[in-house]
Amino acid sequence: MKYKITNGMYMALIINMLYPKAIGITQGSIAREVGSDMWISTLVATLLALLIFWLLVVVIQRIPELDIIDHSKVLFGPLFSKLVSLIMFIYFVLSFGPIMVTFVYHLKDFFLPDAPVILFIVVAVIVGSYAVYFGIEVIARISLIGLFCIILLNTLLIIGSLEDFDIRELLPVFEFGITSPILASRHHLADWSIVMMMCLVILPTVNNDEGWRRSSMFGVIFSLIFVVMWPILETGVLTSQVTSQYLVACMQMARSAHIGFFLHRYEMVMIAFFGISVLTQITIALLCASVCFSKLFGSKKYHPAILPSAIIMGAYGYWVVLNHNRAMGILENSWVTYSLSITLGIIGFMWIIGFFMKKKIKNAK
Amino acid sequence: MPTNLELKMKQQLSENIDANINTINSLLEDNDDLVIRTFYLQFQQEIKCIMFYLEGIVNANKIDSTLHDLMSYRSANKATENQESSNKELAESIQKHLSHNSSVMVCSNIRDGITAILNGDCLCIIDQSDQGLCVSSKGGDKRAVEEPMSEQVVRGPRDGFTEDIRTNTALVRRRIKDVRLKMEGLKVGTSTQTTINISYISGVVKKGLVEEVKQRLNKINIDGILESNYIEELIRDAPYSPFSTVMNTERPDKVAAALLEGRVAIFVDNTPFVLVVPVNFWDFLQASDDYYLHYLTGTFIRWVRYVAFIISLTLPSIYVLLTSFHQEMIPTALALTIASGREVIPFPVLFEAIVMEIIFELMREAGLRMPKPIGQAVSIVGSLIIGQAAVQAGVVSPFMVIIVALTGISSFAIPNFSAAYSIRLTRFPLLIASGTLGLLGFIGMFFILAIHAVSIRSFGESYLAPATPFKPSDQKDFVVRFPWWGMNRRPQLASGKGVRQATKKPTPPQEEENSNKGSSSVIEAGKYISHEKADDNSKRGRKQRKTIKLADLVASKNKNDQDNRK
Repeated sequence: MKYKITNGMYMALIINMLYPKAIGITQGSIAREVGSDMWISTLVATLLALLIFWLLVVVIQRIPELDIIDHSKVLFGPLFSKLVSLIMFIYFVLSFGPIMVTFVYHLKDFFLPDAPVILFIVVAVIVGSYAVYFGIEVIARISLIGLFCIILLNTLLIIGSLEDFDIRELLPVFEFGITSPILASRHHLADWSIVMMMCLVILPTVNNDEGWRRSSMFGVIFSLIFVVMWPILETGVLTSQVTSQYLVACMQMARSAHIGFFLHRYEMVMIAFFGISVLTQITIALLCASVCFSKLFGSKKYHPAILPSAIIMGAYGYWVVLNHNRAMGILENSWVTYSLSITLGIIGFMWIIGFFMKKKIKNAK
Repeated sequence: MPTNLELKMKQQLSENIDANINTINSLLEDNDDLVIRTFYLQFQQEIKCIMFYLEGIVNANKIDSTLHDLMSYRSANKATENQESSNKELAESIQKHLSHNSSVMVCSNIRDGITAILNGDCLCIIDQSDQGLCVSSKGGDKRAVEEPMSEQVVRGPRDGFTEDIRTNTALVRRRIKDVRLKMEGLKVGTSTQTTINISYISGVVKKGLVEEVKQRLNKINIDGILESNYIEELIRDAPYSPFSTVMNTERPDKVAAALLEGRVAIFVDNTPFVLVVPVNFWDFLQASDDYYLHYLTGTFIRWVRYVAFIISLTLPSIYVLLTSFHQEMIPTALALTIASGREVIPFPVLFEAIVMEIIFELMREAGLRMPKPIGQAVSIVGSLIIGQAAVQAGVVSPFMVIIVALTGISSFAIPNFSAAYSIRLTRFPLLIASGTLGLLGFIGMFFILAIHAVSIRSFGESYLAPATPFKPSDQKDFVVRFPWWGMNRRPQLASGKGVRQATKKPTPPQEEENSNKGSSSVIEAGKYISHEKADDNSKRGRKQRKTIKLADLVASKNKNDQDNRK
């Protein structure tokens, strides 16, 4: 990927990659565990993410021109890099499950209940592949539009729901103890893991490597600001009990928003804004998977890898989404376990190993 | 293998005038408008001269004047008359000492002579001389400078470009009297030999842009350029895209503004449409009025246009997807009204919308092509009578008529017709996607369009800038049109970060300034007050502006408290 993106675009990518799932589906999962303390879990996960991001940037900054796969190639040779490519490709395929759950259930369950699931998958994969063809620069630019849509969506939600907000619903704080919100933060941390894995692939394309740490930090903080208002509003307006009843809690929240009497339902406007963000997320996942796939087979260009990656990811996404119970099981159990293991494993291993292979890194530089 | 024609064109002028006449005649045979005029020089009656020109594209007065110079006057230069200079150099001698014409060139080959004749100049060949004279006599009937038809303004200059390239460049030169303004020329089109001028302000234009424009123009290999769109299509960045990446305008003020912003203008002869590169998508939504009216008014009108753009692009699609798939999103009372209107309609909403859109385009096209008075009648008959009849017949719902009319009106609010056309084109895929897949189709197609627009560049500049990539410094002339005193720098597409203007925010004159003007009194709030009072007020004003330190404030408060206690 020869193109460079600005630090602002990088921050927008972080926000877009996190936002769609984190505001609703994740909050529902957290609410089922810790009730009104979902915002605390969100906060804790973000703080942990901040720490991991720091490690991630340190790892990539060692040789700023190379992504994590090329890093592994420098440190351990081509065979190990193939293994890393394979693990990362599998990761992005797995991540397509929760991403598709977010995309399909938002639209199907609330707007097009009679439409077949395959239709959503096909549209997502075609649109995503089309965007991936143009590369990271175009996707990064579209993420700025996505960011603008997120701001509008949040504003609309605040306007429409502040009237019904009751701060007392947030009490008692730490209802289930102090450890429960920390443990429940794993759901949101799993969302963050997709962002981190994306960064491991795209960070070398970001301009000015000295500013990566600052951009990443601001990206995480802005993401927190955009996301954390949702658990707070969901608790204050819907209550945590109601939030926990829904798979897509944010849609219920959006549905309850109203401005006056005449504009009593405008969730479609909100979902139109949300659509840009979620499609950006789909696109980035496809791009990263294509890059990993191409590196797995030693191809310098990722374009030939778009189609096979899209087919594999689409098929997996379809399988996950087809059954609500299966989707829920994967989302709340296996996805969290696998995603956190892979992300923390790769970042942690590469960080530690960097201390022992300073000479190789220096030579590679 | 060169053809006979090419061989003749490559020939040098011969000293034998008959040979030259034969060659030129053979090249320009079967041309009724070709005039061949024989004459003799006043001072050398034995030397035969022939003048060639094409009637209709020359200025007859200039031809008369040229003949008058050669046939009536004697040269002030004795060498010319006495043939001290050989006949070979006679043409050059006449050019320097006899002709009064402002632009006379000596040519020595047939190609130059023929080109001059075809360009509206006259060619004079002289017996015993292997040189000819190309005397400037361009003329013919031209359209006068008129108000542009396609870009009218409420406030602003009323002149528009014409079909004559020199008139057009003059209109811009009249606005920019800067030595750095350049007008580089080249010819494109093997048959038409169309004159093209590349205009820019050196030092303001970004490095490499002019070279890029020239490179793309030089690559063009075509027989004829009849309108600037030929050039536009041959140099654009995204040839398949419905979005135009080259701006065209009839307004000299718009071109001048573009040049001052560091863009390049391409003038093409025989068309009033001048091309401007590079452009962003948002430039097509901006009109000259934005800058000629108060900045708040300009901003407001700009917002209206942005809304018109959104309506024009999305309204039919949103209506179709709401009524076909997501009826629950429409407020109940409104939904019932729409439903009652659609009760008797036998077609699905998507079909109804497509048919109505096509009919609207049909009416617009018919109104445009027909002679003006009939065109207007067709538009009125079409919109009122057919629309009303269609609703009464139960073919179209009244709501759909409103939607299509609103969409059409919104598309007219877009100042540049190229942009209006591209938005009209992109509306159809969005409509079909929304009508078949509902919200999913709308979001998907909108995303595809957005990706496509984001991926386009116009001569190296991002098409959707300054929105994405976000350029903070260019925001002053994007959603909001900042006042002129607030727009200090040129856009980022210009070279460097050139200061455009350094005028500070205008403020009313200070009172002390007024007091120094020597007048006996100054006006304050509509009343006349004396100088002494004005001085007093200014001193008081200075006192009021004095910075108060927090420590001083605390000390004075403490002192006051102590005094109060005492």
